[in-house]
Amino acid sequence: MGALAIKNVTKRFGDTHILKGIDINIDSGQFLILVGPSGCGKSTLMNIIAGLEAPTSGEVQIGDRVVNDVAPKDRDIAMVFQSYALYPTMNVRQNIAFGMETRGVPRKEQDETIARVAKMLQIDHLLDRKPGQLSGGQRQRVAMGRALARNPTLFLFDEPLSNLDAKLRVEMRTEIKQLHHRLKTTIVYVTHDQIEAMTLGDRIAVMKDGVIQQFGSPEEIYERPANLFVAGFIGSPSMNFIDCHLAEQDGAVGVSLQSEGGARFVSLPDGQRFAGHLGQKVILGVRPEQIEVAEEDEPALLCKVHLTEPTGPDTMIFTQINGKEVIARVHPRAAGRPGDSMRLKLDLGKVVLFDPQSEARLG
Amino acid sequence: MTQFNGPAQYGFAERWLPRLVLAPSFLLTLVFIYGFIAWNGYLSFTASRLLPNYEWVGLAQYETLFANERAWVAVKNLFIFGSLFIGGGMAMGILLAVFLDQKIRGEGVLRTIYLYPMALSFIVTGTAWKWMLNPGLGLEKLVHDWGFTSFTFDWLVNPDMSIYTVVIAGIWQSSGFVMALFLAGLRGIDDSIIKAAQIDGATLPRIYWRIVLPALRPVFFSTLMILAHIAIKSFDLVMALTGGGPGFSSDVPATFMYASAFTRGQMGVGAASAMMMLATVAAIVVPYLYSELRGSRHG
Repeated sequence: MGALAIKNVTKRFGDTHILKGIDINIDSGQFLILVGPSGCGKSTLMNIIAGLEAPTSGEVQIGDRVVNDVAPKDRDIAMVFQSYALYPTMNVRQNIAFGMETRGVPRKEQDETIARVAKMLQIDHLLDRKPGQLSGGQRQRVAMGRALARNPTLFLFDEPLSNLDAKLRVEMRTEIKQLHHRLKTTIVYVTHDQIEAMTLGDRIAVMKDGVIQQFGSPEEIYERPANLFVAGFIGSPSMNFIDCHLAEQDGAVGVSLQSEGGARFVSLPDGQRFAGHLGQKVILGVRPEQIEVAEEDEPALLCKVHLTEPTGPDTMIFTQINGKEVIARVHPRAAGRPGDSMRLKLDLGKVVLFDPQSEARLG
Repeated sequence: MTQFNGPAQYGFAERWLPRLVLAPSFLLTLVFIYGFIAWNGYLSFTASRLLPNYEWVGLAQYETLFANERAWVAVKNLFIFGSLFIGGGMAMGILLAVFLDQKIRGEGVLRTIYLYPMALSFIVTGTAWKWMLNPGLGLEKLVHDWGFTSFTFDWLVNPDMSIYTVVIAGIWQSSGFVMALFLAGLRGIDDSIIKAAQIDGATLPRIYWRIVLPALRPVFFSTLMILAHIAIKSFDLVMALTGGGPGFSSDVPATFMYASAFTRGQMGVGAASAMMMLATVAAIVVPYLYSELRGSRHG
């Protein structure tokens, strides 16, 4: 069953086009991530789904109902905000109850619901406190409790973890995922953090300049990014982009890579799919973990280490290929020291090629 | 080891310079505010009439004051004026602020227009309203000239209603200021709180009544304090608008005090009434300051 369908939604303020024809379709129970840099329109899209802003054109459908003309309160949604948006003069219990009170839910049912969500989120002991007396993480829980009390068909999360410190953010991320597993309610989640997007989402819509750059599962987005922007935005450290010429040598299609140790031609597996671009400039996209340390007997690129960044489990090696700075993620024990030369190879099965003009992925 | 002597070298200047700089204003305040309060307090226990004299009469001047019908009219007027001025000014100001907060066009211009009366002195406000409310010159004459000759609006010259004209002028002057205070408060409220309440299903009046205005409690109290002391001290507005008249029907304590001390040759009664005003202001301000200071120490 479709839970949320957004059909050709646009939003304009005067001459500024915030959203330029957004199409999204997700099934019930899915976790949709809207991710992109600031100003990409993701929060506007969220507000349009919530009904807090009206689209200039297009249609929003929640469940099987077109909700363009339905007030936010009648859309059967609940929203969690980045700033938590707790009502400052009410205590936690009143905050959670306010929506039910407005909808005229009987007192007894209100109390039961409050008890249920408070237990679920472990905020029972905070019910009589005011928001000002709570820590950031506790406020976030209360905000989620307020949303849960609604028991909606659609949850909207607007950058809910951005105001938390790093450790708490990771904890709450896990909790939100567990909550989703338990409740199986459809969630739309806005974030600018690509790690949140990858870890939480069933479906990810990567947005930029009011356009969805790619819409797909986390694996698709990570392994087969639609264009340079998506490739560079998702993944940390970013994908390496190496300028090359696509050439043919001994019947194999490949590119020539130049490192400090000299130039070497590497052929791409299944290279014939790029045959149409032979002789053209292309951008080779390689994720840091797709650059590996070569075995003794394997052909390799001899690269000079410029800088290392140990992160604990991995060490980032900064080197140069084709005049571009390239980062390789290697095991700390295999990592050289700055100034050393290392024998590196690319995992050619996973690299991707982009057209430098259109910035779209080739093949 | 000279380099470690720094603090000791500068110690004298550092300790005395701030005191030296503050001393003149401190002295002036001490003499001309607290000194004169004390002198006035002393005068209120003397038999001073046209000029100060120092013949001690104990509480006699206070007895005269409390027996004086005119003083009680002034107190009653203060209650009428104070409560209506504070209540009305606050209600108008909040209403204007809420309307202006709806992201309307031309907000900057409207805000300036509403705030402008605050830039006028009470004398100007009083004089302007005196003309407007004068039956022979202003509103009543205008409506008469339109042909509605049965219309009367004679509050300014009606002893029962004259104090209410002061209320009208006072609200007109202060509501823009209240609006500015509340608008600043409203701007400090996180937008997403209002969005959250909308999704929770609350109507706009309910959002303001249950969530936004309660969150503005501190602004509410500051405004109350400011308006309350304006009300108690109000002198120039009454002088310009009604001069305390007709008769003494719109007297307030400040005009009563002025009349006693400087025009009717009863300086002792004037001093006693000034002390009563001081006590009233103190009764409002001291608990407020106490709670404010205690609050800041805790948080």
